[in-house]
Amino acid sequence: MNQALPVHWFDGVRPRAREALVRVDDGDLVIEGRGADAGLVRRVPLKQVRWPERQRHGVRLAHLPGGGTLSGDDGAAWDAWARANGLDESSVVKLQQSWRGVLLALLATVAVLAALWVWGVPVAARGVLALVPTTLDQRVGDTAFEQLDKRYFKPSELPAARQQALRDALDQAVQAAYPAQERPAYTLHFRTDAKPEGGIGPNALALPGGHVVLTDAMAQLFQDQTPVLVGVLAHELGHVRHRHGMRMLVQTGLLGALAGLVVGDFSSLLAGIPALLGQQAYSRDFEREADAEALHVLKANRLSPRVMLALFDRLDLQRAKAGGRGPTVGLPIALASHPSDDERRRFFSAE
Amino acid sequence: MEFHDTIPTDLPVDSRMQETPPRRLELEFTGSGSEYFRIWVVNLLLIIVTATLYTPFARARRLAYFYANTRVGGHALGFHGNPWTMLRGYLLVAGLGAAYAVALRLAPWMAAAAVLLFAGVWPALWRASLQFRLGNTSWRGLRFGFEGDLAAAYKAVLPIYLPAALVMAVLVGLAPYEGSQPAGMPGLVAALVGMLGLLTPLLYPLGLAWMKRYQHGGFRYASETTRLNAGAGAFYLIALKSVVVAVVGFALGFALLWLLGGDVMKGGMLTHTPSPWAMLLTVALVVAVYLLMFALVWPYFTVRLQNRVWNATASHRLQFESDLRFAPYLSVSALNFLLTLFTLGLYRPFAAVATARMRLEAMAVQVRGDVDDWLARAQQHGAGTTGDAAGDFFGIDLGL
Repeated sequence: MNQALPVHWFDGVRPRAREALVRVDDGDLVIEGRGADAGLVRRVPLKQVRWPERQRHGVRLAHLPGGGTLSGDDGAAWDAWARANGLDESSVVKLQQSWRGVLLALLATVAVLAALWVWGVPVAARGVLALVPTTLDQRVGDTAFEQLDKRYFKPSELPAARQQALRDALDQAVQAAYPAQERPAYTLHFRTDAKPEGGIGPNALALPGGHVVLTDAMAQLFQDQTPVLVGVLAHELGHVRHRHGMRMLVQTGLLGALAGLVVGDFSSLLAGIPALLGQQAYSRDFEREADAEALHVLKANRLSPRVMLALFDRLDLQRAKAGGRGPTVGLPIALASHPSDDERRRFFSAE
Repeated sequence: MEFHDTIPTDLPVDSRMQETPPRRLELEFTGSGSEYFRIWVVNLLLIIVTATLYTPFARARRLAYFYANTRVGGHALGFHGNPWTMLRGYLLVAGLGAAYAVALRLAPWMAAAAVLLFAGVWPALWRASLQFRLGNTSWRGLRFGFEGDLAAAYKAVLPIYLPAALVMAVLVGLAPYEGSQPAGMPGLVAALVGMLGLLTPLLYPLGLAWMKRYQHGGFRYASETTRLNAGAGAFYLIALKSVVVAVVGFALGFALLWLLGGDVMKGGMLTHTPSPWAMLLTVALVVAVYLLMFALVWPYFTVRLQNRVWNATASHRLQFESDLRFAPYLSVSALNFLLTLFTLGLYRPFAAVATARMRLEAMAVQVRGDVDDWLARAQQHGAGTTGDAAGDFFGIDLGL
């Protein structure tokens, strides 16, 4: 095909537009000046030209080696000329210019994003953590514990004998449940809320690096039922064993980056919503994993997992007393960091 | 909203140039939302499946699309960036960012080191990015350039950096005492920290002025190099007006909140048992007010800044103009935000095109003399300095 296409030709030295015709001849692009520039001819191997991509709107600009530019105002004519002369087009451009291709790409994007959320991010976090030495957990956990301790806690008021008894009970339970090389290294801290109002109340928590905190309120709530406390602490050790704290750090980071890709620079607030929802979903998964560890420890010590039902009963009662009425209306499950109490009750009473 | 009075009229008049009256080149944007949507979707998929390594290729395609649809006096802009070069810059910046994110969480001293390192390299990256972007932008076959030097880039960020550095230094200096004095810092030191904290917003307009002066004082085309004819006062005025708009917006928003949700709030306080749903509703209303304010203040600031900065950007034979209107821009950005929210992000490419159209078409360039005879600077294709070479090698594009 020796069709010629009218273009503007710029030499890259002066911003003057020359009228020109371009055609393809034997693997070369031939540019011939018109009008005042008639007689001016340049040949460039086709492969050395940086061609524009096909699109519906806008000017087509082709960059010549050495700084020249060809500009075609009539995009449709340019695309037709390029096709007639057999210029290649990338498959990405083909996809972008077909609505069917775009719809498929959109579906694929949604599917990939969903898969990344459900499987990809947790697997990637495990992969990252496999490369991260546990000394890092220790450092992160130490810093976090120091901060928490300074701000929210004061030393426990439990009698030393009671503290020691709980330590021994947990130690024994762990020894019975795990072979020596699988036992999580942990430090048990007894603490109580620094301020009576607005503290965390009866609770236990685990930080990276094996810091496990038990509040006095929790210890007192189950003064008569050490097995419940063993179950609660075993749950926290489950978090330690699975490095949940570190995994959460990595997973929220990855999830935030993922959300940022889609709505990122448009609005950080919008990007925060999927990140928050995803984080809560991961947190519920971690709680389930930790509950499974608690179940394992209780069973290995020939304790009935059903003792854990007392935990939910008494916490309900406690909340009722504090709030002056029955169990509070729970947040929608998508927003909660823990699985529902009903689900957890079923889990511990199933076996 | 009159902006014409801000165009400097005291440009040096060259007698040779008086022969031809200035020509006004309009900016026109021909991009389409639906076409950019198609480009965006495919780019997004490729970015995700390549673990973001496709990002520079997507960015190059996006820029090429927006440039090819931006006509200045009838001629489109050209983008010449090589995505493989941009990949190097992307990896460099991504590596820095990842190291920063990790270090922030490790230990306080590492976080401080990371902040210092990032702040230390940012002006250099900023300059490299400007050089790369302009050096790879052409109009009528001629490349633009960026002339700002490295030292000036560091100087431009001083009003932002200094108060931050002072606050950080004081906090680091106080750190050893934090534990021993549960009552907090001594009053004098607290007052000092408070004043330093106040310094940050007070110096922000100055920093903005210096940064814009650096940017708009370094654009080159042929033998023309622009300068910014606006003092810091103009930026303080914009900031002040924006604060006024924010205060008015807040007041209106809370008046609205009181009218709509007043019953909920009052009810909650009286009975001492706010139901979770009433609380959720209140939170939602507060968030709505917050968003409303941002939907108002940010566009206002954007409009004022664009007009002020471009109307003050000129070179010997070039004068830029911008007459972006607040009301239409406000409605476009509000619509963009809502539709992006309700389409879970799918409207984003349409929003980008709508914003670009409005912002670009508000602009024009006045040219004195015949552009045809201008000449590219001789050293344009030369080796350049080390800084240029580094910028070119890494192809850094911060998307500024």
